[in-house]
Amino acid sequence: MSLLVVCPTCGERPFSEFSFGGELREVSSPDPAADFARVYLRDNVAGVQDERWFHLLGCRRWVTRSRDTVANRFVEG
Amino acid sequence: MAELRACSLAVVVCAADADALDALVAPGYGARVLRTAADEALFVTAPEVVADVAREVADRIAALDDDAIVLDVTDGWAAWSLAGDDAERAFSYLSHLEAPANRAFVQGDVAHVGAKVLGEPGCLTILVPAYWREHLRERAVHDARAHEVRP
Amino acid sequence: MGSLRFEGRRVETRDGDTIGSALFRHGVRTFSRSLKSHRRRGLYCATGDCANCLVTVDGVPGERACTTGVREGMRVQRETGWPSTEHDALAINDTLHWAMPVGFYYKVFVRPRWLWEVAEKVIRRTTGTGTLPVTAAAAPKPTRYARVDVLVIGGGVAGLAAAAAAEGRVLLVDEGQIGAAASDPATRAAIERFATQARAAGVELLERHAAIGIYEGPSVPLVGPDELVEVEAARVIVATGAVEAHGVFPGNDLPGVWLARGAARLAALHGVSPGDRAVVVANTDDAAASVQTLRDAGIEVTEVRGRVLEARGSKQVASVTVLTPEGRRAFACDALVLSLGWAPRDTLLRMSPDPEVSGAGDVVLPGCTLAEAAQSGRAAGGGRPVEPRLAEPWPILEEAGYVCVCEDVDVHDLEAAWDEGWTSSEILKRYTTATMGPCQGALCSRHLSSFAESKGAAAGAQGRTTARPPARAPRLEDLIGGVHEVIERRTALHERHVEAGARMDRSGVWMRPGHYGDTNGEIRAVRERVSIMDVSTLGKFWVAGRDARALLDWAFPLDVGAVAPGRARYLLALDEAGYVVDDGLLAALADGTYYLTSTSGGADRMEASLRNWADRLNLHVHLVNQTAHLGAINVAGPYARELLAALSQDDLSRAAIPYPGHAEITVAGVACRAIAVGFVGELSYELHHPRSRSVELWNALLDAGRAWDIRPHGLDALDVLRLEKGHLFVAQDTMPDDHPTKLGLDWAVARDKTSFVGKQALVRMAALPLDRKLVGLRFDGVPQRGAPLSVGERIVGRVTSCAVSDAVGASIGLGWLRTIDGAFPQALVAGDLRATVTPMHFYDATGERPRG
Repeated sequence: MSLLVVCPTCGERPFSEFSFGGELREVSSPDPAADFARVYLRDNVAGVQDERWFHLLGCRRWVTRSRDTVANRFVEG
Repeated sequence: MAELRACSLAVVVCAADADALDALVAPGYGARVLRTAADEALFVTAPEVVADVAREVADRIAALDDDAIVLDVTDGWAAWSLAGDDAERAFSYLSHLEAPANRAFVQGDVAHVGAKVLGEPGCLTILVPAYWREHLRERAVHDARAHEVRP
Repeated sequence: MGSLRFEGRRVETRDGDTIGSALFRHGVRTFSRSLKSHRRRGLYCATGDCANCLVTVDGVPGERACTTGVREGMRVQRETGWPSTEHDALAINDTLHWAMPVGFYYKVFVRPRWLWEVAEKVIRRTTGTGTLPVTAAAAPKPTRYARVDVLVIGGGVAGLAAAAAAEGRVLLVDEGQIGAAASDPATRAAIERFATQARAAGVELLERHAAIGIYEGPSVPLVGPDELVEVEAARVIVATGAVEAHGVFPGNDLPGVWLARGAARLAALHGVSPGDRAVVVANTDDAAASVQTLRDAGIEVTEVRGRVLEARGSKQVASVTVLTPEGRRAFACDALVLSLGWAPRDTLLRMSPDPEVSGAGDVVLPGCTLAEAAQSGRAAGGGRPVEPRLAEPWPILEEAGYVCVCEDVDVHDLEAAWDEGWTSSEILKRYTTATMGPCQGALCSRHLSSFAESKGAAAGAQGRTTARPPARAPRLEDLIGGVHEVIERRTALHERHVEAGARMDRSGVWMRPGHYGDTNGEIRAVRERVSIMDVSTLGKFWVAGRDARALLDWAFPLDVGAVAPGRARYLLALDEAGYVVDDGLLAALADGTYYLTSTSGGADRMEASLRNWADRLNLHVHLVNQTAHLGAINVAGPYARELLAALSQDDLSRAAIPYPGHAEITVAGVACRAIAVGFVGELSYELHHPRSRSVELWNALLDAGRAWDIRPHGLDALDVLRLEKGHLFVAQDTMPDDHPTKLGLDWAVARDKTSFVGKQALVRMAALPLDRKLVGLRFDGVPQRGAPLSVGERIVGRVTSCAVSDAVGASIGLGWLRTIDGAFPQALVAGDLRATVTPMHFYDATGERPRG
């Protein structure tokens, strides 16, 4: 419980209502080599990163949210 | 002790553009409108009027978004009501959600499945996907110690 | 007045007794034997902080005798020692310290290796605490959720004052009964006053619930007698107080050595004298009250200040030597009562760095007065966190004595570990296991860090060790309520299957019929006549909107434009790495919308995936997940069309329902979308219909099907039927990194399409050598699913599906296979059997039968 994700439809909810979609990344790449990096290589930042969250038990829609991976809290914006 | 009853409700879903749903005039027939997502609304009605509600919603939304889907999905939902003075306390054994006030609506984790919860006078109505009908009944009786009232 | 049963004997109890007070009055002095040395241990803290008095109550181990109230007729047993706690042959261990060095498990029984197997059995029997009741059925407790503005943990003066002062929804929790443990009148009066204030302020007071941890959020689980409460709080105030400091000196663990508040509590609340002649080491201001309480109880008390050098005694303490300001003095006594300083009960506080968690009272101001406790509580309740005050210098460790009584770690052990190079408090903890016993370091955590400090540990290596949940020992049944349960999805036909005698299997998230008693008969019905199967579990979606086709063209590798209205196509779902994650069907509808299905376990994932792409690509698409609202029944077999014709007026010809394709028809009065598909390799129609009509449709089909001796089939039959066709089950026959080529599914990928999810990955992987693929297999016997496939000594693959097929007249299977020197081997060994690689289509290779 308790890492709270703000869903624009449902409000603030524990992360357990969501499934995690990983770091936000481009939807496609210009060529197979670039695609390899896009698909397999993660930035894995210690700090703020944009992430995708699917509100599985609520509205069943995706949100993009910024999380500070060190403090494990979502930040505004 | 809270009382658990299976309820007979009908549900119409409308999937349409957010702008179209914002502009949609709610149907009559006492239907409750649940805005479940920016691009989706559920209309909860009495079973007798579901066809009328679906038609009215379809007519109105067509003018706003000609791709919209309007569908009677009554069969997709199992509805249970928790009634009695203890209803809210019983609900707290099923969900971390605040029990919605009268006429309010909340959706989220109830008994570990995605549910829609409607605040009604004197009771809470919980809608879960139909394949979880038994699951919710069992959790309400076992965890929330609700007393099941069969018609 | 009542009684309990203690190891077969009757022990009288008085009102308000704890197990500990009743047993002590009865004459019990040794409550347990220590973990390793089997030394006698008696009541020590008497406040629930140490683990000396853990007993088994009515078969349940690990109950704290000193804080557990008595119940009439309860059965109490001590837990340690052989043959008994009182007469313990294993006390010999106390002379065998040389054989049990610190870091025992890293040093002893290393060679020969078999020795450990033997030794472990012995050690398991002789150490540890109580025995878990392995036969008792655990009744899971329900979990209740509570959301509050302020949660206060601890119902003493500071906690109650904080709760009374806090705004909003306030919950105060105490692991015992509020006020019940206060032994002096002033504290009792203050608690009563603040409890009244708190109630008047609308605070909810929850007793007999123990906070076992503080998780991020902050979120606090409370274990109560018949529930687990998960509290989400905007703020948490920890007011768990302090326990008197544990003294470390030779003989410090003897029965008869007491922490002062506990001894006073026993005398004042239970009328039990901790001894006749007590020496009180009164180094704190608080000690005066304890001394007075003991004197009031008629105990002869000698009060001293100073350093305790040694306590002696055999079964219990008999004498003590104290270094007083006047010099070294020895006393004869039967109780040594210690008030040496304060150890804040800060385990919970040390679990969370969040600013939302703060302390009040003794836990941050150890040794504070009642007035200070109330004041700090009010401040914390009002949202003004109290700055923690450092405790007075910590009592020194003498040259010997037990630092951690739970784990039997003494000063020598710490010295030895230090000399071996474990020179920080965290590492000392892991190596010696000090602080890791049932009390979770409540008494000894600070000793460990002060030891490291005294040894000159580096600045970052001498701090307090991190506290982790659980702060109190929960039982397994406290924790399992509703947490790991499998949530069953049931189709509308569930009851019908059960009535028909089906064995219901858990298949992913669904309950499904495995068989109805005769799998071979079910298979024959499909191949020779007609049969039905409940496939309501399939994921079902309706996709509309002007960008529907664009979305599906992006999300899946098939050419959506090539699917004409009224037609259907096999659908493969790839992830961005080009790997197969799911499969299903795509049906094109006349109005430019689409109906698609996923596997039974893949519905949530497919919805999430489609919504993700619609969102990321900003497409104008509407999607309704119809999995719950539609049932589906597959009608399969050579007479499938005849059966439908008996129940439908609609045109069922190939012109009306092409293969593969679909049409809306009415069957037995139920509106259905009939999809002609070929998964089982016979003429078949999936009838998708509103869930509420499933039973009616199922019954009608069974009824009309009697002419063909119809019977339903389950998953076991399906497994064979689709295997005979060489159709794979995603996840069973696929590996997580299988791209379509490895599965022989290139035909399901429109490679000419410029882009789709996984396209670039497929282009990249096409350039790599194909070193593994799924193949068809024939065996000269019946293998096990999962059997390795080998060539000589070398394992080159694995059987993923297999069955003896009557239709094919052979033992067949699917399996994955690796190349040897660039070529796929053809002749293999599967366990004791020979296996030959064959094409995957075993039955009706040309695919004529499903066309009808």
